[in-house]
Amino acid sequence: MASRSSALARPPAFRGVGRSILLTLPMALWSLLMFTPSFQHASGDHYIGAAAVILFMTGLFFLMMRTGETYRWRRIFFVALGFLFPVGFIAALVAERGTMSIPISRMVSGDTPFCFMVTPSIILPAAFARTVIFPGSILPTASNPHSIAIMIGLWFALTLVMGKAWCSYACFFGGIEEGFAALPKRRRLHRFITRFGAQLRLIPWAILVFVVLVSAAIFEPVYCMWLCPFKAVTEFPAVRNVETAIQMVVFIALFVGLVVVLPYLTKKRTQCGFFCPFGAFQSLFNKINLFEIRINREKCVDCGLCQTSCPTVALSKDSIREGKTLLNCMKCGACVDACKKDAAVWHLKGTPVAAKPERARLLFLYGTWALATMFGGSVLANGVHTLIGFLPLK
Amino acid sequence: MLGLATGPVCLATCGPVVVPWMLVQPQGLRGHSRQLFLFLAARLAGYLVFACAVWLVGSAIPHALPQAWTGRSWLMGAVQVLLAGALVVYAAGWSHRRCVVAKTTGNLVQIGEAPVVKRSGALALGFLTGINLCPPFLVAGVRAAQLAHLSAALWFFFCFFAGTAVWFFPFLSLGFLKRTPAIVTVARMVAVLLACWYGFSGISILIERTFHG
Ligand code: SF4
Ligand code: SF4
Repeated sequence: MASRSSALARPPAFRGVGRSILLTLPMALWSLLMFTPSFQHASGDHYIGAAAVILFMTGLFFLMMRTGETYRWRRIFFVALGFLFPVGFIAALVAERGTMSIPISRMVSGDTPFCFMVTPSIILPAAFARTVIFPGSILPTASNPHSIAIMIGLWFALTLVMGKAWCSYACFFGGIEEGFAALPKRRRLHRFITRFGAQLRLIPWAILVFVVLVSAAIFEPVYCMWLCPFKAVTEFPAVRNVETAIQMVVFIALFVGLVVVLPYLTKKRTQCGFFCPFGAFQSLFNKINLFEIRINREKCVDCGLCQTSCPTVALSKDSIREGKTLLNCMKCGACVDACKKDAAVWHLKGTPVAAKPERARLLFLYGTWALATMFGGSVLANGVHTLIGFLPLK
Repeated sequence: MLGLATGPVCLATCGPVVVPWMLVQPQGLRGHSRQLFLFLAARLAGYLVFACAVWLVGSAIPHALPQAWTGRSWLMGAVQVLLAGALVVYAAGWSHRRCVVAKTTGNLVQIGEAPVVKRSGALALGFLTGINLCPPFLVAGVRAAQLAHLSAALWFFFCFFAGTAVWFFPFLSLGFLKRTPAIVTVARMVAVLLACWYGFSGISILIERTFHG
């Protein structure tokens, strides 16, 4: 394996084709295994959707192996996930109800899929009053197979493996803003973000505490009802009165501001980094997760490139000096790829820093990419299948 | 018994006010106990004022009590707006001077560093949560209004308070949480968010009562 010297001198291929293929094989087999059931569908669209996802996920993994870069290839998957999720979701809603809006009565009767975003706010009411304050069925029913128990189980399993990396490999919303953040060449508001980064990254924690406390007080999922920017591109309460009209305005304003405009201006994931309470909650699991990014102080020259490249301001001058990322690091790999001194490295907890960073990266990627294929892959396949359905060929 | 049984609901209702207030206090069990005591004492005062009011209404115009309850929306709206103001002033520690300092230095992290120990804060927040008409409080109000003597109504509310107060002691554990500028800053941000929430909720109630009676 070639050693990773500076990015300028970095060879275009980090590994040979043969070795990269060998390392990709397990992931190719896993993808096949995941999507074999899709091939049993009668519809050709499903077949094409599943085949496209297998090629896509395996191809990206191969490129990660071949180039030694993580961020660029992961971002392609993640942006695809972010944009294809609403495609499949909205199409399913329109096919079933004819509209993206849902009357409050149907929402109350649990006729809405469970969303992992509300997980933190259902904990206190469930503990104190044994009531799940999200309107849905705890166990699967014929009309709603996405039961709360299954979704929470799935979230927990993924979280144990990924920690906060959920936010860059599994969340089907973050990709939208990552897509908008990838568009411009220049970063704007950079000085503002550097100066106030310490305060900005505390906002999600404040929103988390607020949402948890108020949800317990009024027995409603407050985030869902008032603060979710992604309601604008998924499902929202039908506008029937002033209150629902205000809710709609809030959803649209948050989506446009935090998911489109600010990411475009700053090249940061502003919703994830400076707003999302679920992301803050997820950060706690970084404490128990085995993988992290560390800065090798022996090689670091304090140039700050890693800090600038981080999409969620998870590095500060102090943290770089301490050789660590902050708790909100989502293991996207941008800092590792940006560092020209190979000082930012993947790390397996309990081993010496920078001893075998590529081994830590491989171990992390095998687990995470496998879960991303399983969880995100089905969302991608559904989106592709929906898009094919729109083609005039049919 | 009513207080003990409905305690978790009280805890959930008052939690949003107590948690950020306690978190902006310096670390330590002693300080927290004092703040909680003041908060609960003011809350008791709020209860007793309310007990007097409902008993007087109930005894003066017994059959009009249900109509009198319609005024509760006004009270709820007004209390929530006041609570919003108190949260901003005390828990968020906003003052004219502080805004000027923040503006001129541009160093907002200072909001996490200055400890705020104000007795009036615990008293104001305690009193306002004491007269905030949460569901268990309304149940207790109806019972108190039906009692024959004012002293019985006051005693009833005192017992109700004692039952619910037990549930507040777990908040003392917040005193052990290590205070970093980040935790204090988050607590203040939470206070501002809650102030927006109570303010919005209170104003909505007031507007609704004004236009829809
Ligand atoms: S880790 Fe790399 S990119 Fe970050 S400051 Fe050190 S040398 Fe620069
Ligand atoms: S610290 Fe590095 S890996 Fe973590 S979120 Fe920032 S860029 Fe991504």
